[in-house]
Amino acid sequence: MDMSEKLTHAINPSVIFEIHLFGITIPIRDTIVTIWVIMAGIILLSFILTRKLKTVPEGKQNVAEIFVEFINSFAKNNIGHHWRHFAPYLGTILIFLIFANIVSIFNIIPGEHFKLRPPTKNINVTACLAIISIMVVLFSGIRFKKFSGWLKSFIEPIPIVLPFKILDYFIRPMSLALRLFGNILGAFIIMELIYLVVPAVIPAFLSLYFDLFDGILQAYIFVFLTSLYITETIE
Amino acid sequence: MNVNGIIAIAASIAVFTGVGAGIGIGIAASKAAEAVSRQPEASGKITSISFLGFALSEATAIYGFVIALILLFLKWAA
Repeated sequence: MDMSEKLTHAINPSVIFEIHLFGITIPIRDTIVTIWVIMAGIILLSFILTRKLKTVPEGKQNVAEIFVEFINSFAKNNIGHHWRHFAPYLGTILIFLIFANIVSIFNIIPGEHFKLRPPTKNINVTACLAIISIMVVLFSGIRFKKFSGWLKSFIEPIPIVLPFKILDYFIRPMSLALRLFGNILGAFIIMELIYLVVPAVIPAFLSLYFDLFDGILQAYIFVFLTSLYITETIE
Repeated sequence: MNVNGIIAIAASIAVFTGVGAGIGIGIAASKAAEAVSRQPEASGKITSISFLGFALSEATAIYGFVIALILLFLKWAA
C-alpha cells in the first residue's frame, strides 16, 4: 500500500461487523464501536467517581466535584438566570466531546483491524450533535418566551431581519457541525501523515497539540457556542 | 493537463482561505492582549469573547478545508 491508500483507509470508516435483522443488513462501522467504547468509559468513570458520596469530600469525590463546579460556573457565567436548566446538557456534551476528540491517545491495542479513532472525524456524528444543540435552542426559546413571544422574536427589532433570523436556524447547526468536523479531521489527517513518515518519538510531542489541545479546545468551543445561542434565544 | 491536476489546483485554491482566518485570528489575539493589559481585572470576560472571535474567524478556514477535502474525495471516489 502506498501512502495515499493508507491515508484513505484511515479516513474512511471501516465495517467491523454486520447485524442481520428482518432481512436487512445493518453494517456497524468503527465510528459506532468507538462511541460505544467511549460511552462505556464515561459510564464506568462516573460510576467509580460517585461511589460513597460524603458531605466532606475526600479523594476521588474531589475530582467529580471540581468538574461539576466547573460546568455550573460555566453555565452561570454564560447563561445567567436560567443556568440550572441547561447545565446538565452542556456538561454531557462537554464530557462526551472531550473524550471523543482525544480518544486516539488511548490507542494502546496493537494491530491493524480495530483502532480507536476520534468519532467526531465523521461528519454524521458532528451533524447529529449540532442538530441536538439547535433543537435545545429552539425548544428553550419556545419554553421560556411562550410561543407568541418566540414568534415575535423573529421580527425584533425590525421586521426586515425576519429572513436572517430564519436562516440562523440552518446556518448555526451547519457551522457548528462543520467547525468540529473540519478541525478534528484536519488534526487527524496531519497526525496520520506524521505516523506514516516518522512512526516514533516525534508524534508524541505533536500529539500533545493536535490531539489533546485541539480536541479539548474544540469541545469547549462547541459547548460555548451552544450556550451563547441559548442565551441569545431565551433573553 | 489532466483532470487530476486541475482538481489538485482547485483544492489548493480552496485551502487558500486559511490566509484570511490567520490574519483575523492574529488581529483578535493582539486586541485581546491589549485589552487585558489595559484592564487586567476583566481578563475572564475578555478570554471568553476572544475565544468566540477565534472560533468564528477560524470557521472560514475550516469551510475552505472541507471544500478541498470534498474535491479530493470526490476525485478518489470516482
